[in-house]
Amino acid sequence: MNQVGRDIPRLEVRAKVTGRADYTHNLRLPGMLYGKVFRATVPHGRIRCIETGAARAVPGVQCVVTGEDIRKLIAEPYYGPAFHDQPILALDKVRHVGEPVAVVLASDPHVAEHAAQLIDAEYQELPAVYDEVAAMQPDIVVHDMLKPAGTFADLKHLKGRTGTNIALDFHLRRGDVDAALARAERVIEHTFKTQQCLHLAFEPFVAVADPGDGVLTIHTSNQTPSFVRTEIARLFGWPENRVRVKVPYLGGGFGAKVYVKLEALVSALALLVRRPVKIALTMEEQFYMITKHPTTFRIKSGVGKDGRVVARACEVYWNGGAYADIGPRVTQKSGFTAPGPYDIENINIDSYALYTNRTPAGALRGFGIPQLVWAYESHTDLIARELGIDPIDFRRKNILHQNRPQASGTPMTDAAIAKVLDAIAARLAWNKKLDRGSGTVRRGRGVAIGFKASISPTTSVAIVNVAADGSTTLYTSTVDMGQGSDTAFAQIAAEVLDFKAEDIRIVHPDTDVTPYDMGTLGSRSLFHMGNAVRLAAEDARAKLQALAAQAGLPEGTNYPPAEVFKKRFGMQAGNVIGAASFVPTYKSPDAQTGLSDNVTPFWMVGGAGAEVEVDTETGDVRVLRLVNAVDCGKPINPGVARTQLSGAAIMQLGFTLSEAMQLDAGQVTNASLADYKIPGIRDVPPMENELVEAEQHTGPFGAKGLGESGTFGVSPAIANAIHDAVGVRIMELPITAEVVFRALRAQQGRPLEDA
Amino acid sequence: MIPFEMVEPKSLKEALALLDPQESTVRAVAGGTALMLMMKAGVFTPTRLVCLHGIESEYARITVSAGELRIGAMATLSELERDANVAARLPVLKRAMRTLSNVRVRNVARVGGALAHGDPHLDLPPVLAALGARVSISGAGGDRELPLEQLYSGYYETVLAKDELITAVKIPAQAARKAAYMKVTARSADDWPALGVAVSFAFADGAIRDPIVVVSAATEKVTRMAAAEKVLHGAAPDDATLARAGDAAAAAAAILTDAHGSAAYKRELLRVYLRRAVREALGDGARPVRQ
Ligand SMILES: Cc1cc2nc3c(=O)[nH]c(=O)nc-3n(C[C@H](O)[C@H](O)[C@H](O)COP(=O)(O)OP(=O)(O)OC[C@H]3O[C@@H](n4cnc5c(N)ncnc54)[C@H](O)[C@@H]3O)c2cc1C
Repeated sequence: MNQVGRDIPRLEVRAKVTGRADYTHNLRLPGMLYGKVFRATVPHGRIRCIETGAARAVPGVQCVVTGEDIRKLIAEPYYGPAFHDQPILALDKVRHVGEPVAVVLASDPHVAEHAAQLIDAEYQELPAVYDEVAAMQPDIVVHDMLKPAGTFADLKHLKGRTGTNIALDFHLRRGDVDAALARAERVIEHTFKTQQCLHLAFEPFVAVADPGDGVLTIHTSNQTPSFVRTEIARLFGWPENRVRVKVPYLGGGFGAKVYVKLEALVSALALLVRRPVKIALTMEEQFYMITKHPTTFRIKSGVGKDGRVVARACEVYWNGGAYADIGPRVTQKSGFTAPGPYDIENINIDSYALYTNRTPAGALRGFGIPQLVWAYESHTDLIARELGIDPIDFRRKNILHQNRPQASGTPMTDAAIAKVLDAIAARLAWNKKLDRGSGTVRRGRGVAIGFKASISPTTSVAIVNVAADGSTTLYTSTVDMGQGSDTAFAQIAAEVLDFKAEDIRIVHPDTDVTPYDMGTLGSRSLFHMGNAVRLAAEDARAKLQALAAQAGLPEGTNYPPAEVFKKRFGMQAGNVIGAASFVPTYKSPDAQTGLSDNVTPFWMVGGAGAEVEVDTETGDVRVLRLVNAVDCGKPINPGVARTQLSGAAIMQLGFTLSEAMQLDAGQVTNASLADYKIPGIRDVPPMENELVEAEQHTGPFGAKGLGESGTFGVSPAIANAIHDAVGVRIMELPITAEVVFRALRAQQGRPLEDA
Repeated sequence: MIPFEMVEPKSLKEALALLDPQESTVRAVAGGTALMLMMKAGVFTPTRLVCLHGIESEYARITVSAGELRIGAMATLSELERDANVAARLPVLKRAMRTLSNVRVRNVARVGGALAHGDPHLDLPPVLAALGARVSISGAGGDRELPLEQLYSGYYETVLAKDELITAVKIPAQAARKAAYMKVTARSADDWPALGVAVSFAFADGAIRDPIVVVSAATEKVTRMAAAEKVLHGAAPDDATLARAGDAAAAAAAILTDAHGSAAYKRELLRVYLRRAVREALGDGARPVRQ
């Protein structure tokens, strides 16, 4: 039976809906202590003193730990994937409100919580910087010195730099932009902005460290177990095999739970007190851990008489907050797609990662792409309007076709951009007139398309174990956080081995058992780990055939594996281990031009079409219809793929219409689900989700990832539709009713007063 | 959480005696849906909670006598939602329940809790105030009754003494009065409202009579809009009248800026939704966009 392409339900659904699935939140170890974090109340300040006496005096408190206590255990207690800039607990300085300053440990979590409220810290307050463009100036400097991690060659030049907030500047030069702009018929320029928002997984961050005897075990809700092992071993100066990282199911990740989050803290605490330590954050505390970059994007295009874009200059400023996290990667890996999926001869890109005094920013379902698409697809629509060309025709005129080089110089192989656009136009019946409404209710429609490169170069390793009865187990360090990777890998392995996917068991990440994987992020797993699983299964199949030959069976025998084992070993014994690594090739961008002809192993493509209704009396926007389309190659499981598409679109809908972290003098004023509004079920519009017919020739059975692709087009499609409906253009997210209302009033020449 | 005492009196009298006239850390708990959140957030730390679940069952009943509907303070919001008398006499109340939180909360939250909490964003107070409801209050010093809107003295503040309890809310016969409630959420559909507008009025010979106009959520407490009522009384509900009523309300209401929107924006919403509420009550209103 064909296993690939089957619409089977996710393997774990029954366990999840019956409440039996395993999560780190449920874990309790004998003798375990609970930690409660005491957090900074100022955005930028030197620590004068931390008063912990009252907390220590609370009955039941085991101890109170500060950054200085950690420094006694680890001389350089700083971590981070790109920069070693983040202290396990604040040292010397605090750089954002909510930064962890101390931890209370107690065997009763309520006692720890109460005691943490009794800690008091004094700071010498420093001026703070919150805006990404303002942070370009070195007037207020968040870090005295830059400390790149050394793992990335393109960050080396930043080592030891002082007097700057620029954690990375990425530049790309293609053709001659200045000359082309001078020759262009029209030059059009805009600035777009996005807000700070966050992942808000329904399972907040949680980790448990067990100091063990010579081997430290970390149980954590994390998307990158292999990285955690490497980084924790580095912090302690240990070999990797003294650190064991175990990850059960995740209640959502979305890019929040990548790299080290709580793991260094619980590990240090567990080693200090020689007892297992658990820290589980509240929903509210998530607002102080990791967020999505606010951005400012200045985009300028030169257009010829024929409606072709001849030059584009992109300046992107990424507000990375107080610690770099993966921001510098976002700045470069997403930065080079800033001109959009268009065939443009002359391109400049300047992309800057900036430190500010906000909660750090990292990867959030799209790794910076939704911020870029927001700007370039709003810009594209505005150009089409200005030229009086239909927005779909204008896109078709400029679109990047198969194998044409993208800005970086890498060809767009297996990237069905035009097909995605066509699918959206067809579903919206773009050729037919829209009922535009009347009176105070006006309707409009808009489209947007985007694309993304995969993070590269990265490695995935898989092991397939066929037992003597033929039953098979798959070992990978990919984290299933709801995206369905377990199911997809079972289908891939089953296809190769001619089993049923449901019969394959998946072992969840345990770095003592499961092999290395770079991480479950950037929609890379289906392609990278999927390929590794396919190769490992092929290896197992070849070994089974060898076994059959040893057992004296003819080549091509259809004896089931159990029979082969029995024939070979005389009883139900032995096993076959297939293993494989998958590492795609890669060429790093030229240091001068930023160009590379092999910058990504595959491209993700996604787009959206929206029909909206605007209440002109209130500015309220109702999405009447949302069409999502992607190229995900040949889907392994079309049903799961479509739910990834709709899930991503709904998430982006929140970032488009309502979600925003509000800041007052560095304080987040809406750090709760009551005040920070994600879409509820009644906000979900009628949606159509289409997987266009395509194939990723280098992917496992023609497939590639799509976990993020559904986010790309949503925001600009809606802004474009609003413009179409009522003639106002929103340049900044989120597009709340009040924002639209104010724009309408400004358009009428009677702007609404501020308060 | 710091340990506290939980007592379960068997009668209203006992419950009142367990409250403390001076001590604000001693409180009644009805459904606990509001109180538990305050305790979790650390804004309320009790020394004693007086659970009202065991008091006489009459305080949970919904009854009609002489046209007046009496809702016991311990009735759950779900009981209110499903009550046949409520459905027949006060359809606006039943409709308001549809977007009032969710079934899990409605199953445990009590009418008394919804009224006593004092959060201006709640739905029941403006609807009941527009229906001319009166609250019955019992305390050590005896019983009293107040028009509902007079229960509120500020943001999360009521005129209840620390040792008083709401026992019931009474709604006079509505005869042919018309009513509507508009809950305006500015962000997601399940957001706390940026504005609530509730109206009721008699309608005869093409004119509005004895209107009650109540604003909530945008103001620090549920407030009756006397100026708007004056404009509407005796007038035909045409565009000009409704615009004047909207202007009068927008000028009079003490509207606050908060996360749901600026005061300027909410004043505009009030103008629009006052008109829509009247039209809705008359049965020819356009539905608000988010409901
Ligand atoms: C997830 C969620 C969503 C919600 N959404 C909405 C919504 O959309 N619309 C809406 O209107 N509300 C909403 N609410 C609020 C809800 O209506 C209130 O929490 C509820 O009505 C309070 O009733 P309770 O019985 O649980 O009160 P409790 O929590 O028990 O008490 C609340 C307060 O009232 C006092 N009190 C209780 N009973 C009495 C009494 N008889 N006399 C004097 N004082 C008393 C208590 O001492 C306490 O101070 C929501 C709540 C939640 C948790």
